[in-house]
Amino acid sequence: MDIEEKEIAFLTVPFGPQHPASGHFHALMKVDGETVLELEPHPGYLHRGFEKLMEYRIHPQNCVLADRLDILDPFPCELGYVNAVEKIAGLEVPKRGRYIRIIMTELGRILSHITWIGVLSMVLGFDSANKIAWGDREKIIRLNEMATGGRIYPCYLCVGGARRDISQEFVDETSKALDYLEGQLSFYDYFVFKNETFVMRMEKVGRMTAEEAIDLGATGPNLRACGVDYDVRKDEPYEVYPEVEFNVITREEGDAYARSLCRRGEIAESISIVRQLLNNLPDGAFRIELSPVWAAPEGECYFCLEAARGEKCFHMVSDGSPFPYRVKVRPPSLSHSLVQFPYLVKGNTIADVPAIYWSLDPGPADVDR
Amino acid sequence: MMISDIESDLKSKFPDSLLNVVSEDRRISLLVKKEELHQILSQLKDIGFNHFSDVTAVDYIADKEFELIYHLWSHREKIRAIVKVRIPREAPTVKSVFDLWTGAQIHEREDHELFGINFEGNPNLSPLFLEDWEEIPPFRKDFDTRKYVKEKYYSGEEGYPVAKG
Amino acid sequence: MIKMGYLSDKFSRTFAPFGILKNLFKKPMTLQFPYESLPPLADYRGRHALDLEKCAGCFICSMICPNKAIWPAEFNGRRYPQVDLGKCCWCQLCEEYCPNEAIKLTPHSMMVTMDKESAILGLGEEGFVPRHK
Repeated sequence: MDIEEKEIAFLTVPFGPQHPASGHFHALMKVDGETVLELEPHPGYLHRGFEKLMEYRIHPQNCVLADRLDILDPFPCELGYVNAVEKIAGLEVPKRGRYIRIIMTELGRILSHITWIGVLSMVLGFDSANKIAWGDREKIIRLNEMATGGRIYPCYLCVGGARRDISQEFVDETSKALDYLEGQLSFYDYFVFKNETFVMRMEKVGRMTAEEAIDLGATGPNLRACGVDYDVRKDEPYEVYPEVEFNVITREEGDAYARSLCRRGEIAESISIVRQLLNNLPDGAFRIELSPVWAAPEGECYFCLEAARGEKCFHMVSDGSPFPYRVKVRPPSLSHSLVQFPYLVKGNTIADVPAIYWSLDPGPADVDR
Repeated sequence: MMISDIESDLKSKFPDSLLNVVSEDRRISLLVKKEELHQILSQLKDIGFNHFSDVTAVDYIADKEFELIYHLWSHREKIRAIVKVRIPREAPTVKSVFDLWTGAQIHEREDHELFGINFEGNPNLSPLFLEDWEEIPPFRKDFDTRKYVKEKYYSGEEGYPVAKG
Repeated sequence: MIKMGYLSDKFSRTFAPFGILKNLFKKPMTLQFPYESLPPLADYRGRHALDLEKCAGCFICSMICPNKAIWPAEFNGRRYPQVDLGKCCWCQLCEEYCPNEAIKLTPHSMMVTMDKESAILGLGEEGFVPRHK
């Protein structure tokens, strides 16, 4: 009896959005057995149309809503909006205001990276590290509450400075929290980053060369893990970054493990930046008082900054009225989860898909805005 | 390479397409004509601008034009280039730069969905964020978000909003 | 020598995570909510409170609210702002721009209800409290 092949069909498996490994993101994978052949992403679960909504609101209202552009890392969103407006108008923020802004931004970067350690561990099945990371987040969330009045949504910056001042109690609590976090970093080193299972699941997985990474539009730790040292804080410095010293962490391999080590190194650098800023904190005013219907003059500005995920840029066009004419946010995660992720999973097994996805550190709120 | 070298190189190769060139500390900003846009971007890529940051659109409804703005960055020289071009609002079409930078495809897909600009040569221009959208592209200036929300989700009257249903 | 380094590296990587066992003797990080809880700090942004003596009825709070959560209402012949907590984004702009410091955000943060009507804060006999049917 002859057996002839009639048809070959592949199974389509959904990845999210209710899957515990994917967050607010949906992708359809075409698989052949255990190997992924193709992946098609479907973003849009968090699309709120911020860029259009901001055209109907004045600047104090927009600064408060800008946190929701990427909630895992809200300070660069507010900082970018506020700096773009100030550059069009030529405003000079007082020195204490600039120091306070960058102290909170760097604490937010540490919070985002610790959240990333927790989520990556949960996704790989390593629940203990997830729970410990969630406990460490509490230290920084409590500092947020002391300075801004809100645990996760800061609503802190405004055009001309910051809305509230920081107290001496905040400075003391921050020093204690930074000492605690440095001890925790050496704990994470032997518990997570040198863990045999973690290394086996992340090494040599999702590898990119430097040319591929630049062509696909990678920025942030994803690009620095391939050997290209591009950090907006060093190449186009803004605010008080010319006055602090820090290193840019790069590695050569370009796989998921190298990206993890880059982020772990950045936590240590951020701790050192906050310490330097707290030691040199100047006194004086922290805010320029402006009326709520203050309007920036006509002009245009493109301001780039380094968020925890990569290069975030704000393009603002102003036409002389209190409402901005056009605000465009360039999200770093757009190319991470919609361009690099489908490119890197081809040929890998299903078990590698969450490891590759979360090693790229996407923020679903950042992709959709 | 200095910014003045880039400026003179472009001016010699495209003498009548460059309308305005502004050079600052680490940025060069060009306003170009629509016809030679792809060649100018290709020349910039050959000089060394290998990182494609973004392509945005601004709707100048009073002038009846869209302004497309391309942002590029050179990793070797640490210089940013901004290329602006104006296209008519009625049938906006532009050649895609997907063949130069792979990462540009997703930004063009977003602009197509939200503004209605057609990029020829882009392999995938299907809707990205919105599902079953039947109105005009939502980020254009003649689409009123507040009126749409009031009529669709609330009763459409003035005063304290009461949700439908 | 390379083999020795590889083996000792593998040994430390395999047995290092057992260091977590020292957490058995530490106090747990979790709090048994609702029996224990972390109280919010003094300037936490929680539920609104209105001082009717100071309120002038100018409705600057209503104009500045980004989500249009504050609307005028009447009580005893006076107009005052009522707040819809379902729309509020807790930004404190109403407190910042009130000229008489009449509306303030208190640290009260436990707000749970099954009934949408009671999410609107208005003036009643008891003062500025959630409305009930």
